[in-house]
Amino acid sequence: MQSREEYFVPSGSYWPILGSIGMASMLGGFASSLHGSMAGTTAMVLGFGIIIFMVFGWLGQVVHESETGTYNLQVDKSFRMGMGWFIFSEVMFFGAFFGALFYVRHFAVPWLGGDGNNQFTGEILWPQFKAVWPLINMPLPDNFSIPKGIIDAWHIPAINTMILLTSGATITWAHWALVTDKRNQLIAGLVATIILGITFLGLQVYEYAEAYNHLDLKLTSGIYGSTFFMLTGFHGLHVTLGTIMLIVILMRAIRGHFNKDRHFGFEAVAWYWHFVDVVWLGLFITVYWL
Amino acid sequence: MKYLIALFFIIILYSLGSALYYMMKDGDGSKRMVKALTMRVVFSIALFLFVIFAFWMGWIKPTGVN
Repeated sequence: MQSREEYFVPSGSYWPILGSIGMASMLGGFASSLHGSMAGTTAMVLGFGIIIFMVFGWLGQVVHESETGTYNLQVDKSFRMGMGWFIFSEVMFFGAFFGALFYVRHFAVPWLGGDGNNQFTGEILWPQFKAVWPLINMPLPDNFSIPKGIIDAWHIPAINTMILLTSGATITWAHWALVTDKRNQLIAGLVATIILGITFLGLQVYEYAEAYNHLDLKLTSGIYGSTFFMLTGFHGLHVTLGTIMLIVILMRAIRGHFNKDRHFGFEAVAWYWHFVDVVWLGLFITVYWL
Repeated sequence: MKYLIALFFIIILYSLGSALYYMMKDGDGSKRMVKALTMRVVFSIALFLFVIFAFWMGWIKPTGVN
């Protein structure tokens, strides 16, 4: 009879309940803070702190279990499946925002301008309205912050694209180092990728300040402003998360974790970085160019 | 022009997707994932250079206020 390896099942843990408390406190606090409650804001910050504590505590325990040889190949497979579902949710998330941009540009705005069989919509509702993209001249401008212009693709966006593409190359360089057992190159590649990621975020903050202070391009600038900030903002949030994860991987690499045969933690974070990089390339082309 | 950019994108997504598949399927010993990711980086840089070249040639222009 074929023998089976034992599958590691951890003992009872307080991390999940702590995470739930943190999440409830953060979201409940956020809802209260929208009503101007100071206690709500405090609960939100406290909840966020609990979540950060939980993430580092829980994942630190997982790293410890991994390094002490508790996991076998079956557990490794479970981690890979978990990553697969996480990526699926991420693809759906960005798919929704890209889909919104596509729908607005190709259907909703042209329809309002009388396109297709909507001629009377244009003539009766807003006869003066011209359906052009980017939609700067809204039919009812009083409700919006009217932008003086939009971000020029040639300045910060192009520089940021170069930065992220370079970071894609440096993380791949680090990946090759890992599979060929070159620890110093792995660390150097990770450091370079982290520096590039932080530079990207810094420039993105500068671009937002420019948009808000000089162009009057805001989240309230109608559908163009909304889609622009939602897409680039959520992307920026993902770069932030990716950078934090890369810093953790760098710390682990310095401590001698991972080898050429066992390094799923690195693989998952590297793939995530490549994914965020491709999303940016999609943004650069669809938001700034096409 | 749009079709050419879309073609680049399909290749990039294909290499990124196959890297994901190899990550799920293979163990850590395999080099198929890192090879697919290398292709992803090469095609992404090629697409960026192509966009710059297309602009320089006057084939495309950035989204601007009309």
